[in-house]
This record gives sequence, C-alpha cells and structure tokens, in this order.
Amino acid sequence: MTQMDDMINAIVERVAMELSKGASAPKESAQSPESPAPFDINRVAKKDLSGGNTAGTIRETAGDGDLVDITSPEEKHKPTLSHCEDPEGLERMMRSTPARIGVGNCGARLRTQTMLTLRADHAAARDAVFKDVDPSVLDRLGLFTIETKCSDKNQFLTRPDLGRQFDDSVISELKSKCVMNPDVQIYASDGLSSTAITANLENILPVIMDALKAKGLKVGTPFFVRNGRVAAMDQISEALGATVTCALIGERPGLATAESMSAYIAYKATVGMPEARRTVVSNIHSGGIPAVEAGAYIADVIEMMLEAKASGVDLKK
Amino acid sequence: MREESTILSVGIDIGTSTTQVIFSRLTFKNSAGYFAVPHIEIADKNVVYKSDIYMTPLKDRVMIDGEKVRAIVAGEFLKAGFAPGDTQTGAVIITGESARKENSEIVLKELSDFAGEFVVSTAGPDLESIIAGKGSGAAAYSKERQCTVVNLDIGGGTTNAVLFDCGEVIAKGCLDIGGRLIRVDQDMKVTYVSDSVRRIADHEGLDIRPGMEADYQTVESICRKMAELLGDWLEHKDSPLLDSIVTPGSSPFDFDKPIRAVCFSGGVADCLYVHKEGPWNPYGDIGVVLGDAIRQSRLWSEYRVVDAKETIRATVVGAGSYTTSVSGSTIAYDRDVFPLKNIPVLKLTVREQEHCFADDREWFREKLRWMLEQSDSEQLIVAMKGKQNPSYTELRRMAACLSGVLDETLPPGVPLIIVLEYDMAKALGQVMTRMLKGKRDVICVDSIQVDQNDFVDMGKPLVDGLVIPVVVKTLIFG
Repeated sequence: MTQMDDMINAIVERVAMELSKGASAPKESAQSPESPAPFDINRVAKKDLSGGNTAGTIRETAGDGDLVDITSPEEKHKPTLSHCEDPEGLERMMRSTPARIGVGNCGARLRTQTMLTLRADHAAARDAVFKDVDPSVLDRLGLFTIETKCSDKNQFLTRPDLGRQFDDSVISELKSKCVMNPDVQIYASDGLSSTAITANLENILPVIMDALKAKGLKVGTPFFVRNGRVAAMDQISEALGATVTCALIGERPGLATAESMSAYIAYKATVGMPEARRTVVSNIHSGGIPAVEAGAYIADVIEMMLEAKASGVDLKK
Repeated sequence: MREESTILSVGIDIGTSTTQVIFSRLTFKNSAGYFAVPHIEIADKNVVYKSDIYMTPLKDRVMIDGEKVRAIVAGEFLKAGFAPGDTQTGAVIITGESARKENSEIVLKELSDFAGEFVVSTAGPDLESIIAGKGSGAAAYSKERQCTVVNLDIGGGTTNAVLFDCGEVIAKGCLDIGGRLIRVDQDMKVTYVSDSVRRIADHEGLDIRPGMEADYQTVESICRKMAELLGDWLEHKDSPLLDSIVTPGSSPFDFDKPIRAVCFSGGVADCLYVHKEGPWNPYGDIGVVLGDAIRQSRLWSEYRVVDAKETIRATVVGAGSYTTSVSGSTIAYDRDVFPLKNIPVLKLTVREQEHCFADDREWFREKLRWMLEQSDSEQLIVAMKGKQNPSYTELRRMAACLSGVLDETLPPGVPLIIVLEYDMAKALGQVMTRMLKGKRDVICVDSIQVDQNDFVDMGKPLVDGLVIPVVVKTLIFG
C-alpha cells in the first residue's frame, strides 16, 4: 500500500469518527480536554507519514507533546529514503546541508512527508513576509516605529520604490525623536522577513550598541522601520546626519530558513548612491553566524569604516 | 585588505631507525564570499622540501646523539635554503623507541635555536599512528568520502594503525609487526630476530634464530602469518598470539564500525603497492617479503585500497603539515601578545559550562583553584564547547563569571584565555574586555577543539590579524 493511501485512509477514518462523535455527544463535552482534538493536517503523528505497515492510525490524544514538528532540523535530518547503503553516512550528509537530500521518492513524485515539509516551509516563508514583527520584541528593546510610504504589505511588495521613501511628516518625527548627527545610526527593519527580526534582534542590537559605546562612539537612537527596503537607510542617513548607518533587515526567506537577517552598513549614505558603497554582513541566524557573534563583528566593521572613511567596495580595496 | 597569508612549517621526525626533515608552506585563505563574514581556512599544504632519510644517530640503544641530530637538521636547513627563524610553526616528533623524556629534553636543547617556536613532542604509539594517518592522506580521504578508512603505517619495528571516520580518529593501536624485525647480512645469515617474530615462528612451528642461514620459505611463511594477523586485528579476531604482539603502551584497537578502506604508509608500503623486482632482501631485512605478503593477503583483496600520498615520509609530513590548525575567523584579542607556548587546558564539560552560563562563580572558583594546584603553570586556558546560538543575556552572564573569577584567581599580568568550539568568541571576548576595563589582556578564540591535559601553542595572528594559528598537543613522555 502506498503512503498516500495510508494518509487518505487515516483522514477518512478520523473524519468519520469526528462526525459520529459530533452527532451523538453534546457540544461542551466534545470540546472537553479528554476528547480528541479536531483533526488538523499539521497534527498528524509522524509514524502515519513515514510509511510502514501500521495502516495509518491517528493518535487518539493528539496533544502538541505527542506530535513532531516536521519542519524542525531533527526531523528534516531523518532520511526517508528506504534501502539506503550507508544510513549513517546519509544522515551525516543530510545534517551538513539544508537541501532536501535523502528523501527518496514515490514513483515519479515526492513522498507525502517531503511534500508536507516543503509546504510547511513554504508557509513559514510566506508568514515571514506577510506577518509583522512581534511588538513585544520592539517594546523590550524600547524601539519606536516609523513607516515608509507603503500603506500595507501588498503595496510594500508591489512598489519597491515606496519602501525606500518616507513622508515628510515621518522625517520630522524621526528628527524630533532621535539624537542628531551620530557617529553611528543603527535601526531595524522588517524587510522581507519579520520572522528574522523577531528571532535575532534582541541578541544583536544591544551587542552592537554596547560595543560601539565602549569604543567611545556617539551612537544614535535606535528605532524600527515598518515596510522598509534596504535603501530606506539612505534617506534616514541624510535626515539624521549620521556618519555611518547600519540597517538590520530581514532577508527574503527561502525554503531553508525564514530567519535570516542581514546588516547593510554604509559610510555617509546618500539617496541615489551606488549600491557598491554598502557593506553587507549576511546569513545571520541560528544556523548561520549566530546573532551575538555577528553583532561583535559588525561593531568592528563599523569602527573600521570610521577609520577608513569608506564602506562597501571602497573599504575592501 | 589581504586575503591570504603563508607560513613556513618544518616537520622533524626522529624515529627508532630513521630521521627526516620536511618543510611545507601552509596557505591561509579567506574562502567566504564577499557578502559573508570572513572564513579563513588552511587552503593549501604544500611540501616544498623533503630531506634525505638519515639513520637516527644514537649514543647507545635508545639515547639520541643530540649533537649529530643537530648537525643533520642544520645541514637540511642549509640545503633547503632556509635560515633558522624562517619557520613560523612546525613540530619535532620523536617516535618509536626513541620516544622518551630524556630524548625529548636533548632534542629541545639542541634544536632550540632552529626550533625556538616549534612543538617538541615525544609521540607515544598512539600519537604516531594519528600523525602518520594524516600524513598519508588517509584522514583526508575519510573526510572527503565520508567513510571509515584505516591507515596502517608499517615501519621497521611496528605497525601503527589509526581508524578515521569522516576524518575523525575513532580508534588507534600498534602491533609489533614491521619490516626490520628479521635482519639478514650480506652472507644471508640471520643477524636479528625480534621477540614478536620468535612468537610467530613458534606458533607456526618454524625455526629462525640469529646465526642461521636465512631461508626464503621460512621468511615468507612468517610474513604471510604477519599479514594474516593484521587482517585478524582489523576484524577483531582475537587470539593469544595476536595479543602477545601488541606494542606495550598502545591503545586497544577497538571500534564498532565496518572498515571501508585501507591505506598503507611507512617504509614497507613502498614495497607493498608495487612488487619490487630483484633479490628479496635488498635492505638486509624482510620489508619486501612482508610487502608482497600483504599485497597477496585479504587486506588487499577484501578492502578498498587507498593510494597513500606519502609512504615512508607519512609521519614527517604529518608532523610538518598537519599539526597546525586555524582559529575561527571572528575572534577577540586585545593586543598581539603571541606567540604563547605550552599553555595547559582546563576543559569544562557541557554540563559544567552551564555553571558559567548561569554565572555560578563559587563553583567556577573552586574548579579553577583545583586546576592551578594541579598544573605548575601560571597561565591556563579555559576551554568549553559553548553554545550554537547564545542569547546576549547568557553571553553577558558567562563573561561576568569568567572575567570576574579568572581576574581574581590568576596571578597579576597573566592574560585570560578562552577557547570555544562554537562560533561565539568575538562576542564573548568583547564583553569580557569591557568588564575588565583593560586590567588584563583577553584572548578569546573559537572553532578549536581541545581536551583536558592538552597543551596549546598560539602563533602570531595571520591574514590581517583575523585568525591565529593554533597547535594543540598532547604531550606523552615515555
């Protein structure tokens, strides 16, 4: 029997059970903790998806504790390829890459679990783009929020130009709330992944700020830019008269991680300057360069820029 | 910004029978892309000079003649065109029966002006196995192919085995099987028979003693048995005979993984990969016959055989090219106080490091006092695994614990040195420096794995000061 058959049987069985329960039991008791939770495709127990001969039974008590997160690294590193020559070697290779290797196939198609994982990762990527940054993170860091000319996420995605610009009222608000002419202006922006900011900001922003202050530099007031593109930093730099501007921004999510953040840093950024004047520190997330370590590195890079009075390609020369 | 640095490394191997010198250039390069944090690695290990192979000068059966060793090394520096002081790193390895503390002291004294900056270590059978396995290329093969490879370094007196799994050592051991265990003079008279050969001969009902005529059939039978014993050893087929020829002081060669490939190095490997035409005893020993016997045995037919990059020079190349490693590329140090030499390690386990992450100073103070009492050294390295993605809060607690306790416990003026495995050294080092406000130097490096009882050398920073070369050594005095 194929795995798809297993799945379908399981779902049919479960739906039938739910229906019969709903008909016989009063509503309150159906929602009591003892009764099975409503069926949810994301809550299918692992063993039902991995094939095998246990004709697709769904766990009776599907609490979160019993279920595996199919998008977790541990689960993704379990081979689903059957009859593998060197299982240990395969697992090692799988641990070394986020690529979907060692997953096997079902005829000409992906296996059910591979398909579900792929869709779950895709959903995480979409969430990263469309969701907003967790406001409690911004509160804890004491950041105020300004917005670009984009009124919502749809406009943000379809009008990149507006994601680089601010209304005059926003600029005057910025000027009134921020220290002017700082040596270094740091701010955070959602960019294409709010998830990246929620995951990393608390472990990177204070590291950079503390390190720069210890170097005796005048560090500007940090804030958060909603619906911001990278080049929004140019208008901010001009408005605040910052010598170096550093934007911590969420990167376009892929299917490997939705938590990747980058720092774009420029010396005396101006609107319309060449992109080559930006220095980038990319791949900041738990599976790449850890946020605290990236912060320490960025602080050194900023110090280097102030000494060299240059950034981007000019700095590398 | 410089993206590349090269340093010259020297390897000197002083063994029971031979002494060799090699020079190699280690190239450190940034392999990360333009938009990423730098990642410096040793991109190239190029052996630029190989010496002749000398007979090790001895004063008596085991004591090295230091002056003559010095003359050999001085001569080779001259021939290679390098002056003492040109080399920035390297290792002198004393192996086999020469591996004793007295010899190590002699070598250290005689070679100090050449080897001011190198490691001198006497290799026990275990360390010798590992170094040979790296020099032969077996370790690299195992890493590239992600498989298990055993390297058999078959020398004059012993066979040093090391098993790599994905480039990591998982077992090592040593047997008294080698090419010079029976020696024969020009008149085909046996002049020497080792204890291990005597045991093998007794077991097989063969008779071979010094003074006898050397009989090819007998020698061949003994070599076939040696090859069979090596096979038994790899397959865990224990026997009283096999137990009796294990080299004293070596680890038991235990492992629970199937061996996928075999690589041969050492002098005998030269007669093993291809048959040497001519008389069977061109070197006055049984090396050629043993090589043939192994090629005809199941070691050759039942395993994938890897071509060794180095055979007789595997150990010296290992010493010269594979003892230096490189720190992570985001590290912290306040000033260039390098090189630092022979610093003992206090290693915290994953559970113990939690005390530091929790800023449990009382516990750490105790541990540190104990360590300082154990070692005579004033300096020490605090080493631990660290965390893959620590929070800033955890990091600050840990920095407070380390800098607070180390500062009050270590003698004045001594730098605080932290070695981590996970990439977090720059962040930790910066916080510690701020907390100490310049009272002491802080050195914090990562991507280096060390263990309790190891000693660490740290060289001058390379590639624009981004990384430091590190030598981790386990000193074993015989």
